[in-house]
Amino acid sequence: MRALVRPAQYVALAFYIVFLGFPLLWLISASLKSSGELNSLTVSLIPQDVHWDNYSQALARQGLVRSAWNSAVVALVSTALVIVIALPASYVLARLRGKIRAAGVGWILVSQVFPVILIVLPLFLILRTIGLTDSLVGLTLVHTTYTLPFALWMMQGYVAAIPVDLEEAGSMDGANRFTVLRTIVFPLLMPGIVATAMFSFVSSWNEFFFALVLLQSPENYTLPITLKMFIGGEGKVALGPLAAGSVLAAIPSIVFFSLMQKKLTGGLLSGAVKG
Amino acid sequence: MKTRGASIAACLTITTLLVASCSGGGSGDDGADGGPVTLTFQSLSDQPAAIEATEKIVADWNEANPDVQVEIVPAGWDGIYDKLITQFNGGAAPDIIHYEAASIVPFAVDGYLADLSEYMSDEKRSDIPEGILDSVTVDDQVIAYPTELQSYMVFANKTMLEDAGVEIPTGDTMTWDELREIAQATTKDGAYGLGWGLASPTAAFMAMAPGFGGEYFEGTGADASITIGEGEMALPELVDTMAHTDNTVLPVTLTQSGSETLASFYAGQVAMTIQGSYQAANIANDAPEGFDWVVLPPLEGPDGAEQAANPQTLSVNIDSEHVEEAAEFIDFFTDTDNLAALNEADALIPATTSAQEAMASSLGDENGWSTILSSGQYLTSAPYLFVDAYAQWKDTVATPAYQKFLAQEIDADQLASELEAGWDEITK
Repeated sequence: MRALVRPAQYVALAFYIVFLGFPLLWLISASLKSSGELNSLTVSLIPQDVHWDNYSQALARQGLVRSAWNSAVVALVSTALVIVIALPASYVLARLRGKIRAAGVGWILVSQVFPVILIVLPLFLILRTIGLTDSLVGLTLVHTTYTLPFALWMMQGYVAAIPVDLEEAGSMDGANRFTVLRTIVFPLLMPGIVATAMFSFVSSWNEFFFALVLLQSPENYTLPITLKMFIGGEGKVALGPLAAGSVLAAIPSIVFFSLMQKKLTGGLLSGAVKG
Repeated sequence: MKTRGASIAACLTITTLLVASCSGGGSGDDGADGGPVTLTFQSLSDQPAAIEATEKIVADWNEANPDVQVEIVPAGWDGIYDKLITQFNGGAAPDIIHYEAASIVPFAVDGYLADLSEYMSDEKRSDIPEGILDSVTVDDQVIAYPTELQSYMVFANKTMLEDAGVEIPTGDTMTWDELREIAQATTKDGAYGLGWGLASPTAAFMAMAPGFGGEYFEGTGADASITIGEGEMALPELVDTMAHTDNTVLPVTLTQSGSETLASFYAGQVAMTIQGSYQAANIANDAPEGFDWVVLPPLEGPDGAEQAANPQTLSVNIDSEHVEEAAEFIDFFTDTDNLAALNEADALIPATTSAQEAMASSLGDENGWSTILSSGQYLTSAPYLFVDAYAQWKDTVATPAYQKFLAQEIDADQLASELEAGWDEITK
């Protein structure tokens, strides 16, 4: 019976991977089909004729590459800012008690209450006053601000999971507070930092509404704005080029995740302290 | 050491990216320094050919008017309403705005759009059919130039009709009774007479209601009231009869979009399909080889063949410093040749009679264009364009109610009650 458990686990895993991967496969398949095939009743994962033209249309038509660069800049910078701010702030939130923590938690919760549509106009007016509408800097700041509360909440959970005993042990060995943070806490926090960075990157990479409203010039458009332009008025959708554009748009995210996933090491603290 | 190196690299990367991100932005020249005036034109053209046609028109204008340069700012249809609200409220709206009548009217009512009446020549005014001009007239002010239109047309599989012994209608119009008879004749051997993508039925029912005397709304703005009577219920009830009594409508299509229904049309599962006229271009492009199809004459109800028009429009921001120049550009944009070229690229119907004639002359009967263009004469204004809460009523009341009715979850009386009660609820 036990011998069957491991194969069953692999089968379940295989099903799960197929379940997760199928939409991506379908997207790739659609990106290689002609308009006629996409609009026929014949359903097949393998295109009848490989139609590369969708990719050339996607790349040529809507400034996709420039938009991808803009998205990458905004996502990377906002992710870096989120981590730089959230890292010390989350430590304070997790370790300290008292009014600072209460205020911090209150701010995090309150900031999640307001719907985007409610804050976008005041935000637009503020950014306009300081000359940051239609600017990637403005959008980066907005993405950072919008992502920060949840990132903070997320990371303070990781900090809280690190036993205080480890820090105390470091102190007893003569390390000052900064050394404890640098040599003990931050390395143990790496999986949390990576997970938060991934969340922050994806939030910014996919964000549509703020970019739609704040950016006015085509040279500043981010990827979600450009991809949405494949969906036209009167219900017209250029399905093939849209799928091709979406495949291209997914590549940076996949690369980013591939690079970061090795850092997502779990169980780092197993056995670190007794009892 | 390794950590320090990584930190320095990260800092340099962030600095570089921030510097790169600072490079965006910028706005046009307002001509205050004696240079050319630059007008921003937020265009929603989405088809490659239409984008090309728009760029050509703008290039022609810029060449002929070195002192007034137009800069295209492409935008997408999705989310454009929210973007415009923010742009207008934030004082950042473009000079020239491309949109559609049903959605631009509220902005006119709120005072964001310039009155273009004084800039529209008598020639242009007489070239635009009265009903179309009415659709862009608010409080006797022309708040936009109409550019492109669509009508609902019947596309038929010619082979299936001929095999069923149906004589293909060729008159100026075709009655709904004729459509029903053809649907009955062609429903056989597992195929259905009609496929109609009614996943979002409100737009189609509203557009075609004038043929049955349906008006839905009386009054304008916040004072409008709704009436659901025989004229408004006639078309939904006809569809219900064809779908559930005659069994001549492929059931799944009632839950699909128009584009999704085309797959059943190509596969011979339905003999006819009702679609937006622009689908002629898609059918010509996507239909399987040898697929013989035809566009049937415009549908005519007891009150005529009229359909409510919701034209695409060009408006001018009332806060623009160059309203007159912007209006001149729009006048140029809607010249006969320009409008014909744009509509041909977009597979839509021009909003002016002269452009319709020019397009009919250049396209002939290719892909049913002469029939489609002839439907332009029946396009007219509709009360719903001028009703404040229409969009909310459509999304939250009408569409769910029609969907339940077509799924036979509620009957006709309940549908009428829900439509009226829903309106009262959101306008009380």
